[in-house]
Amino acid sequence: MSGPVLAALLAQWTPLAASALILVFLRSRPAAAAATAIAGITVSLAATGLLVAQVAVPGLSVLAEAEWLPVHGGPGLAFGVLLDPLSALMAFVVAFITLAVMVYSVGYMRGDPGFPRYYGFLALFAWAMLGLVLASNLLQLLVFWELVGLASFLLIGFWFERPAPAAAARKAFLMTRVGDVGFLLGVLLLIRALGIATIPELIEAATTRLEPGLVQVVAVLLLMGVIGKSAQGPLFTWLPDAMEGPTPVSALLHSATMVAAGVFLVARLHGFFAAAPAVMQGLLWLALVTALASATMAMVAGDIKRVLAYSSISQLSYMLMALAAGSVAAGFFHLTTHAGFKALLFLSAGIFIHHAHSNDMREISEHEPLKLTAGVVGLVAGASALAGVVPTAGYFSKEAVLTALGGTGGRVALALAMLGAALTAYYSGRMVFLTLGGRSPSRQVAKSLGEETHRHEHRPSYGDRMMAAPVLVLSALTLVLGYLGPFFAARLSPEAEHEELFHFGAQAVTALALVTAGLALSWWEFRRALAPRVGFAERVPALRSFFGENWYLDRLYDATVVRWTVALSRAAKWNDHTVLDGASDGVARGTVWGGRILAMVQNGYVQAYLAAVVSVVAALGIWLVRTGPRP
Amino acid sequence: MTALAAYLGFSVLLFGIGLYGLLQRRSLIAMLIALELMLAAVAVNVVVLTTYAGRDPGAGQVMALVLVGVAAAETALGLSLFVAIHRAQATIDVETVSELKG
Repeated sequence: MSGPVLAALLAQWTPLAASALILVFLRSRPAAAAATAIAGITVSLAATGLLVAQVAVPGLSVLAEAEWLPVHGGPGLAFGVLLDPLSALMAFVVAFITLAVMVYSVGYMRGDPGFPRYYGFLALFAWAMLGLVLASNLLQLLVFWELVGLASFLLIGFWFERPAPAAAARKAFLMTRVGDVGFLLGVLLLIRALGIATIPELIEAATTRLEPGLVQVVAVLLLMGVIGKSAQGPLFTWLPDAMEGPTPVSALLHSATMVAAGVFLVARLHGFFAAAPAVMQGLLWLALVTALASATMAMVAGDIKRVLAYSSISQLSYMLMALAAGSVAAGFFHLTTHAGFKALLFLSAGIFIHHAHSNDMREISEHEPLKLTAGVVGLVAGASALAGVVPTAGYFSKEAVLTALGGTGGRVALALAMLGAALTAYYSGRMVFLTLGGRSPSRQVAKSLGEETHRHEHRPSYGDRMMAAPVLVLSALTLVLGYLGPFFAARLSPEAEHEELFHFGAQAVTALALVTAGLALSWWEFRRALAPRVGFAERVPALRSFFGENWYLDRLYDATVVRWTVALSRAAKWNDHTVLDGASDGVARGTVWGGRILAMVQNGYVQAYLAAVVSVVAALGIWLVRTGPRP
Repeated sequence: MTALAAYLGFSVLLFGIGLYGLLQRRSLIAMLIALELMLAAVAVNVVVLTTYAGRDPGAGQVMALVLVGVAAAETALGLSLFVAIHRAQATIDVETVSELKG
């Protein structure tokens, strides 16, 4: 076994060891639990760093596998690791973001009674995601895919005593499961056709051995899983509800793990999907519609975490657009920068929420948000990246996506994507201006009141510093990451030697102008003197409720699928309780009563028995005499 | 009416009286006496039918004597059981001996 493979195994299994250690032995020792989890993920980060240094070389691909349960003539199921620049970079991003979130959670979750359990689940989540990223086999990938779903279920429903998080966790699990059924079917079809599911062989077979029709069917089925996991198209409504989990969990869920898994899968199997161009075209349009729809929802949401959730959906759509347009480098580059700035946004939002004890942006603005320096820095840096303001990471990666779209996506798609970018800039600006406070009269009053009560108590505690450190590191990264574009392009699309992720031209100017317009509009509505602090979409009641309630998709699902399912399960429950249980209860009751009736014959009087014996013998004798001797 | 019918009629009468007593009396000792009557009816039948079947009449009489011996043994066993029951329950009424009912 070579060095990189060992490093990959170490990176993958250390978090599981930490998780098991915490969940079994450290349930009542919070400090030890946090230390164990952080130590575990630090080992992972070091190992993945080594991987990036050794494996992230253009064109390199290392496959190390071990046969699992070999069956003669059966499908060859080998489990192992597949190391190439994509998996190495992704593993590093996962380990890095997880570490940031874990350090931050030391402050954010301090004093929570489930603190050790929280760290156990975080480590479990990291293990599942790293396993998914490094998997060499599609079946193995599916296993970890489901484990990622399980871990996010556990973390979204972390405060399961309250009904809302429990319901949100259930919804997340079930909705992603709808897509996972398609994924499973796709994997089974592939294994049936090829007898093997090793990723490089699948990609090679897509253009050679498999029929084009089968490739298309499998591509659609696999994309169902992607749509569920990455919250696209009709299956996105679980993601806004998933905000019921702790804020650092949202940061992890939205940046490097859960939702990124879908995008990662498309990047991983890009060669396979590329063999089904019609399906990719469909994915492109689905992602476009999702991007625009979720951007409109973000424009009216009042809860800062919901704004961020919708923005995640929208940004994931951009990544999928880039992948559908054929550029792995642009899509993965946007995934990486997004992981950085979305984790940053959630972590800084968490600082405000921790301070104001409310998710509502207008309420946060009444609790002197400007005093939380780290939060302000993080929010502004993250929102600039999200909007695509020039020197930040988001600007470069979004330009790369738009360039990819402009190359192969067609003019209409490009125009719509740019419109989406303008909307993104608008809601990012709205979020910052609403949260940090405008010049509304209500805030002036709150400020004068707040200044007397808050002055003495505001001194950064240990927990505050633990929360500020990751935010500041990520803020700095947001400024730097954008320049890594060529690094990604060289490693992820080595065949396109001259592909430029980004070049300055008319298209870039247009995009910049749209972003500026979006930001200016948000300034006009939320920040200038005498600003109404109510957005244009919020003023129209019909639009407000339409956008605010996920385009009524939840109502549609409630009225159709959910209602039918509930009715069906009621019928099944009735069948179970009344028909099946009734039958077995009836048999039992009949036996008991039959026994009681028969027991009456056994009265204990010898003479009664004797009388019965004599009468039976007499009757037999009479019968024998009457029938006569046998012939 | 032939002599055989008379013998057998006597035997049936004896058996019927015994059966009536067995089912009617409540005292265990009276029931045992009734049982002896039924056994005697059987012994009469053996003697009569052996003779009328043309076999050696001595065989039937020997069998009757064996039956008397068996009856004596049975009576000894029954009486000792009744004594034990009387010691335990201070009565030998058959209706009080009903603890094994279902």
